[in-house]
Amino acid sequence: MSSKRHSILPPAPSGPKPPVHFSSSITIADSAVLTGTHSIAIHGESVVHPRARLDSLAGRITVGRRCVVHERATLGAVGVSGRVAESGAAVTLADYVTVEVGAAVEAGDTVIGEGTVVGVGAKVGAGAVIGKHCTLTPHTEIAAGEVLPDYTVVYSNGMRRTDKRGMAELKNKGLARQIDVLRRIIPSNPGKFA
Amino acid sequence: MAVLTPYTFIQCPCSDSSTLGRPSDPNSSTITEADEDERTFDPRAPRSNFSLYPLEYLLYCEDCHQIRCPRCVSEEIVTYYCPNCLFEVPSSNLKSEGNRCTRSCFQCPICIGPLAVTSIETRPDPSLLAAPDNTAAPHSGPYALTCSYCNWSSTEIGIQFEKPNSIHAQLAKLRNGGSTRLTAKERKERRKDPAYRRYQATSSGEGESDQTENLDLETQFANLKAFYQNQLADPNSADTGLAALGDLGFSSPTSLSRIMSIYTGGSLQDRKAKSRLGAMREALKPDEGLQFAHLDESAAIETLRGEGHDGTASITQLVDQPPNLGEEHLHGRSRFISELRPIPYLLRTKRSKRCPVCRHIISKPEAKVQTTRFRIRLVAGSYIPSIAIRPLSLSATAGGGGSSASGATLPGALLEPLKPAHFLLTFKNPIFETIKVTLGAPAETPGRFASKVTVLCPVFEVDANTDVWDEALREGGATGGAGSGGGGEKGERRRGRYDEGSQANNGNQLEVGKIWERGRNWVSIVVEVVPASLRLDQGDAPLREDEDVLEIPLFVHVEWEGEAGGDDVLESVAAKDKGGEAREKRELAYWCVLGLGRIRK
Amino acid sequence: MSSRRAPRGEYIETETGNKVARKATLLGTQNIMLGGKTVIQPEVLIRGDLIRTIQASTQSGAASNNTAVSIGRYCFLSRGCCLRPPGRLYKGAFTFMPLRMGDHVFVGPGSVVQAASIGSHVHIGTNVVVGEFAIIKDYVRILDGTVVPPNMVIPSFSIVAGQPARLIGEVPEGGHEAFELRGLYKTVGNNPQPAS
Repeated sequence: MSSKRHSILPPAPSGPKPPVHFSSSITIADSAVLTGTHSIAIHGESVVHPRARLDSLAGRITVGRRCVVHERATLGAVGVSGRVAESGAAVTLADYVTVEVGAAVEAGDTVIGEGTVVGVGAKVGAGAVIGKHCTLTPHTEIAAGEVLPDYTVVYSNGMRRTDKRGMAELKNKGLARQIDVLRRIIPSNPGKFA
Repeated sequence: MAVLTPYTFIQCPCSDSSTLGRPSDPNSSTITEADEDERTFDPRAPRSNFSLYPLEYLLYCEDCHQIRCPRCVSEEIVTYYCPNCLFEVPSSNLKSEGNRCTRSCFQCPICIGPLAVTSIETRPDPSLLAAPDNTAAPHSGPYALTCSYCNWSSTEIGIQFEKPNSIHAQLAKLRNGGSTRLTAKERKERRKDPAYRRYQATSSGEGESDQTENLDLETQFANLKAFYQNQLADPNSADTGLAALGDLGFSSPTSLSRIMSIYTGGSLQDRKAKSRLGAMREALKPDEGLQFAHLDESAAIETLRGEGHDGTASITQLVDQPPNLGEEHLHGRSRFISELRPIPYLLRTKRSKRCPVCRHIISKPEAKVQTTRFRIRLVAGSYIPSIAIRPLSLSATAGGGGSSASGATLPGALLEPLKPAHFLLTFKNPIFETIKVTLGAPAETPGRFASKVTVLCPVFEVDANTDVWDEALREGGATGGAGSGGGGEKGERRRGRYDEGSQANNGNQLEVGKIWERGRNWVSIVVEVVPASLRLDQGDAPLREDEDVLEIPLFVHVEWEGEAGGDDVLESVAAKDKGGEAREKRELAYWCVLGLGRIRK
Repeated sequence: MSSRRAPRGEYIETETGNKVARKATLLGTQNIMLGGKTVIQPEVLIRGDLIRTIQASTQSGAASNNTAVSIGRYCFLSRGCCLRPPGRLYKGAFTFMPLRMGDHVFVGPGSVVQAASIGSHVHIGTNVVVGEFAIIKDYVRILDGTVVPPNMVIPSFSIVAGQPARLIGEVPEGGHEAFELRGLYKTVGNNPQPAS
């Protein structure tokens, strides 16, 4: 019964099929949506959950090593500013980046630094540059073009503070363990997007 | 502007000075009612703010037959518990330990989120940890409190713990920065220790150096208390001429012992108090409780230079901070974020409520923390009719629903000034008797902008809230139409109206004195309003906040026949055998306020 | 396998009275337990595929229990909400843990729920985020836009709001009936009835 319903569900990804550069060790769910004209590169051991959306219409999308893009997260949508990539890179995720459920990273030279967590439903505006090991708590909005220093925590509707725990290494290790599990339980189908 | 959904607020009679303090028996209430008819209740009067409640917030006293609100009931605490670990705290602990959780439940001083105990060294991922037991070596320390929302950690203020449990006790011994402090008990023991006394004796001889010792609040109070207690106990203390001034002087032992007894619970007011003593000297050493105020703020200014405004604590953060007896007196100095401490959770309570007049309990939860049942729960909603408001748009579909649960047809639509608008009021009867409702509304709303109000059908009856199954049986044809006027018939009528509702509401049904629609235990009537124009003339005060909301006061008078003296019999039981017993006429009258919507400016 | 089946009605109604929208996404359906009479609106996403990969050492016998999301009776999952089991490191390895939900739980549109447990008679508003391993007891109201931080415990009769969530009020005695979702259940499905 479930298989039947799934066959109905994902309406064929609208738009053009982008050229992809996948590492052989990635996990990408069948129902993830990849669309656009520029290339989408996903590096080693990264995980793309079902129903995540990567849109390269505005420029190149690069996902680093050991990143996790959760369901309903959007990478590369064109924001209200309408800004598109000037250098050709719409969205760049460094290594160990987590983009949580329903978060949106807009296109336009947007960079997310290593080990950063983009919380549930958070929005990163076009051209924003997020430093390393930052935490954007759920529903945080980062304005277009904003630059966030390393270890910044954005919480409670835009309050800022610096993460002084010194946990970056351990956090990355934890993420690696999470990826170990996700690779086992999410059926990967990179062939579909090739 | 926020969308305004129509609302009904009910006025609790407690705010009415004429009914205060005496039970309203039927006879007297008719008199006050007559008075009330004279003056219209003004929902915008400053006092009204404190007496208007949504129906859910109101209770009902079965003995006084009156509405009771959260403001007039008297509360009694049944259970204290921690909202985080959900453990019950015996009330005896409250006196000794205070009103906060003394286990390991803390809130973040930065963002108020919950703090979790996490192991510092072997912890692989703090943001994903829920409990300290998830490391390969479970008993590795040290531990810290971390916030999983804003990533604050107690290591930021230099605090870490040796054990993952009883954090509260560990924290009480730690100052920010990690240095330990003595607890009250240890301090007492230290004072007895001869080695410490010798040290004290030598250091006090050196004079100044010792006086800079930082006394925390608790120690300072203990020292002062001991010092004055000694003076009181010492009959040979210097008897100066000030004693002649009597007991009023600041330095008089009697007034002091009186003050001290207020703060310490009477232990000082004993044998010596009566023997009049002379003036006492003040504390001169830290050991006696002397603490110099640190008026030199250069260090604070220096920190402010370094950390800036972001480094200081906000007012909310300061307010959330529990009083910390472990630090010295701040003397009004503001604090930095780096000085904030984890906040032990404030305990919550389960409370029972009593009627203020007859002292009967009208709400009583079960004492156990985890249960949600109530032993007694007399809510107004099961005694007085609920009033639901729905805009009645004569062009759009009217819908047939009885309550407004499905939402307004045009949510948040603004009311056009000077254009008649219609609203459906649905009265739902919760009791097992037929009620007669009489409505009274002023022709014009009070306030600066007087809107015209017409209740098209001010007198009507609402059928009893019979059991749903009774109605189902009747609809099945077994006992059709015999009891309270044919429920099945009504059901059909209602359905019929629902069907035609979409096409036939062409205004000709808006007849004065006619019920718009009725169902098993509900009746809908129409209210016509002509919203006032909000135009301001020259020199008028500007529009105040929410002055554009059209609120109409409505006086509701409910009459029904109830069991005579059936105080302890549930009405559901009483409804089953209707005949036989003596019937008594009951009535209830109250003001309510209908918020209909905003008027277009 | 034809995709031209839509005219049969927006919802699939099961024997136990569940109404599941055809446009809802249920991943790992074998790991999702529905108690009956539960409404799942279109565009809802339930991650039943995120199963527990490490069983608790105490219950070695019950290893076959793979339920990732269990939902009681008369729950209402509004359009666009997302339920997903919370995950954490347990004894050095990562695992997801089941998400349990009682009866009469309303989850508002666009909300994301990663709680460990939600009691009965709980109202979660619009665009709420319930963080991982939060525990929500019975009769709790979470207002629109609230962010419930991970690990938070919300005791019964609380009204919470804010980012992060804090207690802002108590559910009054007369407000218990408002959590009842039987009426709402009837208003959706292939043969919706008007609210009564």
